[in-house]
Amino acid sequence: MLLHIVRKELLDQLLSLRFAIACGVCLIVFVLSAVVLTRDYREGLSTYNMNRVMHRNELQQRDQIWSLNEGVTVDRPLNLMNTLVRGLSKELTESVRVQPGNRLDFPEGWEQNPVLPLFPPVDFVFIVGIIMSLLALAFAYDGVSGEAETGVLKLLMSYSAPRDLVLLGKWLGGYLALIAPFTVSFVLALLVVLLFPDVQPDTESSLALLALYGLALLYLGAVYSLGLLVSCRTRLASTSITVLLLLWVSLILAVPNMAPYVVSQVVPIPSAEEVDREKQALQREQQQRFQEIIAEEQERLGRDNVWGDESVQERFRVAAEESQAEIQKIEDSFRTQVAGQTRLSGILARMSPLTSFNLAAFDLAAAGIAQEEEWVASLEAFGDTWSAYSEEKQRAYREWIHEQMAASPSGGVTITSQDMERFNQDLDLSDAPRFSFSHMGVSDRLAAVYVDLALLALWNVAFFMLAYLSFLRYDIN
Amino acid sequence: MLLRLIRKEVLHNILSFRFAVTYGLLFVLVLLAVFLMGNEHRQRMETYTRQESQARDRLEELAGMQDATEQFRQIQREDFAGVRQPGALAVLARGLEGSLPAQISSGGWFTTHSSEDRLGRNILLEIFQAPDFAYVVNMVLSLLALLFVFDSVCGEKERGTLKLLLSGSVPRDTVLLGKWVGGYLSIAGPFAAAAAAGFLYLSLSGSLPLETEVVSRFAAILAVSFLYISACFSLGLLISTLAHRGATALLMALLVWIGWILVVPNLAPVVARLAAPVPSRQVIDAEQQAIDREAELLMGAIRKSKVYGDRQQMERIREETEQRKRKLDGFYKDRMSRQTSLSQNLARLSPSASYLLAATRLAGTGPDLFAHFSDAVERFHGAHDDFRSQMYGNVSWTGGPEPDIQDEGWFDPDDVPRLSMFSESLSEAFDGALFDILLLVVFNVLFFLLSYVFFLRYDVT
Repeated sequence: MLLHIVRKELLDQLLSLRFAIACGVCLIVFVLSAVVLTRDYREGLSTYNMNRVMHRNELQQRDQIWSLNEGVTVDRPLNLMNTLVRGLSKELTESVRVQPGNRLDFPEGWEQNPVLPLFPPVDFVFIVGIIMSLLALAFAYDGVSGEAETGVLKLLMSYSAPRDLVLLGKWLGGYLALIAPFTVSFVLALLVVLLFPDVQPDTESSLALLALYGLALLYLGAVYSLGLLVSCRTRLASTSITVLLLLWVSLILAVPNMAPYVVSQVVPIPSAEEVDREKQALQREQQQRFQEIIAEEQERLGRDNVWGDESVQERFRVAAEESQAEIQKIEDSFRTQVAGQTRLSGILARMSPLTSFNLAAFDLAAAGIAQEEEWVASLEAFGDTWSAYSEEKQRAYREWIHEQMAASPSGGVTITSQDMERFNQDLDLSDAPRFSFSHMGVSDRLAAVYVDLALLALWNVAFFMLAYLSFLRYDIN
Repeated sequence: MLLRLIRKEVLHNILSFRFAVTYGLLFVLVLLAVFLMGNEHRQRMETYTRQESQARDRLEELAGMQDATEQFRQIQREDFAGVRQPGALAVLARGLEGSLPAQISSGGWFTTHSSEDRLGRNILLEIFQAPDFAYVVNMVLSLLALLFVFDSVCGEKERGTLKLLLSGSVPRDTVLLGKWVGGYLSIAGPFAAAAAAGFLYLSLSGSLPLETEVVSRFAAILAVSFLYISACFSLGLLISTLAHRGATALLMALLVWIGWILVVPNLAPVVARLAAPVPSRQVIDAEQQAIDREAELLMGAIRKSKVYGDRQQMERIREETEQRKRKLDGFYKDRMSRQTSLSQNLARLSPSASYLLAATRLAGTGPDLFAHFSDAVERFHGAHDDFRSQMYGNVSWTGGPEPDIQDEGWFDPDDVPRLSMFSESLSEAFDGALFDILLLVVFNVLFFLLSYVFFLRYDVT
C-alpha cells in the first residue's frame, strides 16, 4: 500500500506546474552558478600561481640583510570546493605578509569591487539554503490540506490504509519529487565544473561533495517536513501557504540574521580596535621600562654605555617576557570573549535549520571558521619559522652590531656602506623556508559538523512526528 | 466608483487572515531591525566617542611632557590612529559600513597587526546579511507584497466575484486601478505605521540625531522603499492578470521572486568580475616594486660610472619611475571602476538592486563609500608622512644616539592629522540615486501597464 501511495504522490507532483518550475529553476541556477563560480576559480588559480612566483622572485632578489625584517609574503592556495561554496573568505586567494613577531598583514578589504559585499554570492549554500527551501514549502504546503479541500483525502482514507502509512507515503512521494530536480541539477553542475581542465578533484574533495549532498538532503527533508506539518495543521491550502511563508521568512530570513545582533547586545565584547589600543599602551609601558632599566644600570655601573652588558640584556629579556605575557593575556581574554559570543550566537541562530545547514556546509567545504582558524594558525607557525630563519641569517650582522655598541663609549654605532656590503654580499636566500598549507581532511570536517548534522536529523524527526500527531487527529470531512 | 472599489479591496484585505499575518510580521520585523541596528549603532558611536577622547587625552599628555627628548621619542613611537566615524544612516541601510575598519593606523612603530584582525570577530555576523531596515524591505516586504496581491485578479475569478463585478457598468481600467490602490494601501499602511514606530524609537533612543539632513535622508529612504514596494506590488498584479488560478499565480510569483530578487542581483557582481577582470592589488604593488628596483639598478649604475653621479639623469629616472607608478595606479583604478559600474548595471536588471543601491546611496553607505574611504586613508597617510618629515626636520643626531631637538615647543596636538572622510550632501546623494529611483519608477509604470494590457483581454468567465 505504501508503494501505491508513494507512486500516486510522486505522479501528482511530477505532473504539476511546481515540478516544472522546480526543474527549470534548479537547472538554470545550479548550472549558471557552477559556470560562473568555476570560471572565477580559474581566474583565482591563475592569480594564485602568478602571485606565488612573484613573491618567491621578490624574496630571491633581496640583497639587503635588513630586508629580512620586512617578513615574507605568502599566498593562500585555492580550495576546489570554492567552485560550489564560497564560504567565509571574500577572495579565493589572498597574499598575507608574515612578519617576525607574529605580525600578519592581511590585504585591505576596501580595495575590492564595492558591489561584491552588498550582494551575497549565488553558490550551493545560497541555492539550497534559500531557494530550494522555498521550493520545498511549495511542494509540501497542500500535501494534506489541499487534498482535504479537493476531497481526495476523504477518498484515500476510505481505503484500508492506516494514517501513518498515508503520511509516510505522502512524505516519501513529495520528498522524492523535490530532490529529483535538485539531484539532477547538482550532478549536471558537477559535470560542468569537471569540464574545466583546471579542476582536478581528489578523493578528499569527492567525499566532501558527497557529504555536502547528504547535508542538503537532510536540510531539505527538515524544511519539507515542516511544510507537511503546517499542511496537517490547517484546513485550507491558502492558509497553509500563508503560514508557511510567514514561518519561512521568520526562520530563513530573520532568525539567523538577527540572532548574532541580539547576542552581541546581550553579551557585548570590546572591539578589536580597543584591544589593539590596550596592547599599544602595554608596549609603551615596556619601552618606558627599558629606559628605566638603562637609567638604573647607568647609575649602578657609573658609565653611559651599558647596552651590551649581559645583566642589562637579561633584564631586558625579563621585562619583554613580562610584557609579552600581559599582551598574550589580553589576546587570550579577547579570543575567549569572541568565542563565547560566537558560541551563544550559534546556539540562538540554530533555532533556524538554515544556520545548521550553512555552518555545516561551510565546514564541509573547508571554507568555514574551523578552516579560517587553521589558516591563521599555519600563518602564525610560519611566522615563527621565518623569525628563526631571519635570526639565523642575521646572526653575524647582529653580533657585529653588539660588538660595535660595546666598543663605542656612547653606545652609538656608525654603519658605513662598506660594512653593509660585507654582510649583504653573503646573503643567500635560496634556502628560505617555503610556506605550505593544506585544507582540512574530510574526517576533521565531519568531526566539526556532527552537531549540526544531528540537529538537522532532529528537526526532521520532530517535524515529522508532529505532523503525524496532527494528521492522526485531522478531520478529513 | 473608483472609491468604492478601493474601499472594497481594502476591506477585503483587512479582514483576511493574510493581512493579520503580514501586519504582525511586518511590524515585528521592522521594529526588531530598527531596534537591533539602532542599539548596535549606538554602541559603535559610544566606542567612537571613547576612542576619540582617549586619543585626545593622549595628545594632551604628549603635549604636556616637559622633557623634549622623551616627548620626541614617545611621538616617534606613537601610532596616531585615525578613527572613522560611523555613518548615522547606517542604522537603516548598513551597506558597506561593516566592511570597513573602524580605525586606521598612521603607520607608527607600534602598529599592531595580528590574528585578531582576522579572527577577532563574531563570524556569524558575516555569514548572514545585516538585518537592517533596507534588508527587511528588500527581502521580506517584496515577498509579502507579492503574497498580498498574487490572487487579486485570478483569485476573484476563481471565486466568481470578478464576473459579478464586471457585470456592472464599470470599466476594466477602473477595476484594475481600484485593485492596485486598495491593495497597495493595505500593505503600505501597516508599513508606514511600522516605519513611523521605528523612527520614533530611533529618535527617542538617540540612535538617530534629529537633524534636518538626517531626517530628510530618512524620509528619502522611506520614499524609495514605498516606490520599491509599489514596483513589487505591480509585478504581483501583473502575475495575477496572467494566471487563471490562484495556485498557479502563487508559484509564478515565487518563481519570479526567486529569479529576480534573489538570483539576478547576487549573480551580477561575479559575472561582472569575469567580464571585466581586474588584476589583484598585489600584482600592481609588485609591478610598482619592480619599477622601483629597476630605477635603483639604473641609479646604482650611474653612481658607479660617474664618481659624483649625474644629478640630472638621476632626477629624470626618479620622475619617470613616479610617472610609471602613477600610470599603473591609474590603470588599476580605471579597471576597478569599470568592473564596479558593470556590476551595478547588471544588478540593476532587478528592482531589488536598484532599491538597495538607491537606499545605500541616500544613507551614505553605498559603493562610493569604499572610494571615499580609500581617498581619506591616502590623505591621512600623506598628512602623517608630512607630519613625520616635519618632526624629523626639527631634530639632529650630532652627539650620538640622543636626539638634539631644535625647537622644543614644536608639538601642537592640533597639528596631528586626523582621518576625515568626504560625505555627500543630501542633494548630491539624491542626484547619485536618481538613476535607480527612475528605474524603480519605470518598473512601476511598466508592470502596471502590462497588467492593464493583460487585464483588458482577461477572460473573466
